[in-house]
Amino acid sequence: MGDRFHEPYDAVLHLLDRQVIDRDGLLVCKVDDLELAETGEGALVATALLAGSPALLPRLGGRLGSVVREYWARMGDEQADRRLPYRIDFALVAELTSAVTLTRPRHGLLVRTPGEDEGPVRHRLGDLLQMEVEAPEGKRRILDVRLDERHRVRSLVIGHGRPGAMLGYDEREGRPANQGPALVRAIVRALHRHAREVPFGQVRIDWEQHRVRVA
Amino acid sequence: MKKLLNVALGVLTAIGGFVDIGDLVTNAQVGARFGLSLAWVTLLGVVGIIVFAEMSGRIAAVSGRATFDLVRERLGPAMGMANLLGSMGVTLLTYVAEIGGVALAFQLICGVDYLLLFPFVGALVWLVLWRAKFSVIENLFGLLGLALIVFVVALLKLGPDWSQLGHSAVSFQPPKPEAWSTWAYYAVALFGAAMTPYEVFFFSSGGVEEKWGVKDIGVMRTNVLLGFPLGGVLSVAIAACTYVVFNPLSASVDTLGQVGLPVAIALGKIGLAIALLGFVAATFGAACETGLSTGYSIAQYFGWQWGKFVRTDVAARFHLVLLLSTVIALGVLATGIDPVQVTEASVVFSALALPLTYFPILVVANDRDYMGEHVNGRVLNVLAMFFMVVLTVVALAAIPLMIWTRMGA
Repeated sequence: MGDRFHEPYDAVLHLLDRQVIDRDGLLVCKVDDLELAETGEGALVATALLAGSPALLPRLGGRLGSVVREYWARMGDEQADRRLPYRIDFALVAELTSAVTLTRPRHGLLVRTPGEDEGPVRHRLGDLLQMEVEAPEGKRRILDVRLDERHRVRSLVIGHGRPGAMLGYDEREGRPANQGPALVRAIVRALHRHAREVPFGQVRIDWEQHRVRVA
Repeated sequence: MKKLLNVALGVLTAIGGFVDIGDLVTNAQVGARFGLSLAWVTLLGVVGIIVFAEMSGRIAAVSGRATFDLVRERLGPAMGMANLLGSMGVTLLTYVAEIGGVALAFQLICGVDYLLLFPFVGALVWLVLWRAKFSVIENLFGLLGLALIVFVVALLKLGPDWSQLGHSAVSFQPPKPEAWSTWAYYAVALFGAAMTPYEVFFFSSGGVEEKWGVKDIGVMRTNVLLGFPLGGVLSVAIAACTYVVFNPLSASVDTLGQVGLPVAIALGKIGLAIALLGFVAATFGAACETGLSTGYSIAQYFGWQWGKFVRTDVAARFHLVLLLSTVIALGVLATGIDPVQVTEASVVFSALALPLTYFPILVVANDRDYMGEHVNGRVLNVLAMFFMVVLTVVALAAIPLMIWTRMGA
């Protein structure tokens, strides 16, 4: 399969939870989460892979996620960076196939994210995926986040279910139309028949209230 | 010539590797009580494991991703974690049963109680996981496991009433005093014994260990298509042997020694010695495979370096998991729990856990993003969907049947 990193892709389907491999083929970590940075023009752009328990545990979802995250932090109460995940800048990514390959060896690779007050405002994709979506048709969830070839958020796919629930069976250009087995395809498409893609311009994200509004 | 030799080696190890403590015990119990009336379940299980292993092996060859990589990628971290806990529970249970099985087999050889032997067996298994090359683990015990062919020889020597055996195999109903529910319960157990989840964890991770590429798909298919069915033949031979010897006596099989009794009757001491060698090799090989599978799965979920293709210190966390799993397994055995009973439970829970890992594999095997032109064909997909349904039904039925029949009592 070809490199996806330099063409449009779906953040959950193609990147999240994939294996990260270093230049020499050694395994580094998983893509536990993605860092999203706010740009001046109101756009949101993915800038780094996040890894480690502080990135993974909150993604277990809802109350469970926050509870295990608290327990994790409490196990090292004296450590200031206990809640900060490791960060791998997108500049280090060579290609994205069935795994993410980096341009350097893994030795001493992982450095924790800098604290809150430095640089642009940063968010996590995992937080965005857990937000409730208020759409004209009712309450929805985010199923996937589509990025363009420069990793800017282009659109959200909203519907019922959990992120990634469409398993790659969604109908649109660039996806194989007849991914089998036919029965699984029919069931997944029927379950997500109301799912739709919303351009990022029509979306307002309230990071404080954990809510997404679709105009 | 060398390639042919490699294919032959692969097939032979698949035969020997197919049979483990679960197959030995379950087939012998089923044979004694139900004759060959459940042989169709072994057939179904063999076809199922062929479909499952072929898909996961092909994914490993094309994309270099093993089972639990895909489970987390397709199901997400939360469902992936639930899946990991379930699958690891079953695999650890199987690990306990296999180590116990090796100790029981040694007890049959030297007469020393297995409770004195199992700590040494566990230490030996860990030492092999720590030091031995992957190819040694895969090939040596697989080949020695071929000694179980002695059950086929024993069956021929016992000279059973073949028409009666054949009739039993196509009867599709429990023999006279047995209830339908017990029969169905043992069907689930037999299915779980043939299609144990760790076999696929090990098979796909082994493909990555041996650096399979697209060109190796043919060899992989040959191993699966020849090796597993011949392993199934061994399973049926064990059931037929215990049927011939125990059924007329209305006796049941409760120990590993009784599993080997038909061979001793038919072929004497030499035969028994070969059978015991087969027991040790099959259970020891399976102990290594289940042990490795715990490390593979956990490391693949968290993205740690795993595998025996790198130095042990490069995959330090993976080897730490192997050590901890072995310690836990030995702790369970130290309670004095009967390994045969652990085996009985492990095969049923195996049946319960199967759909969890089967579904993501099925989806990815169809995904052109991963597989390119090597996606499932139409015929394979029909078969694969059939097994998706079968696995779901078996998994839903497992626990109710277990409670209803009091574990087949």
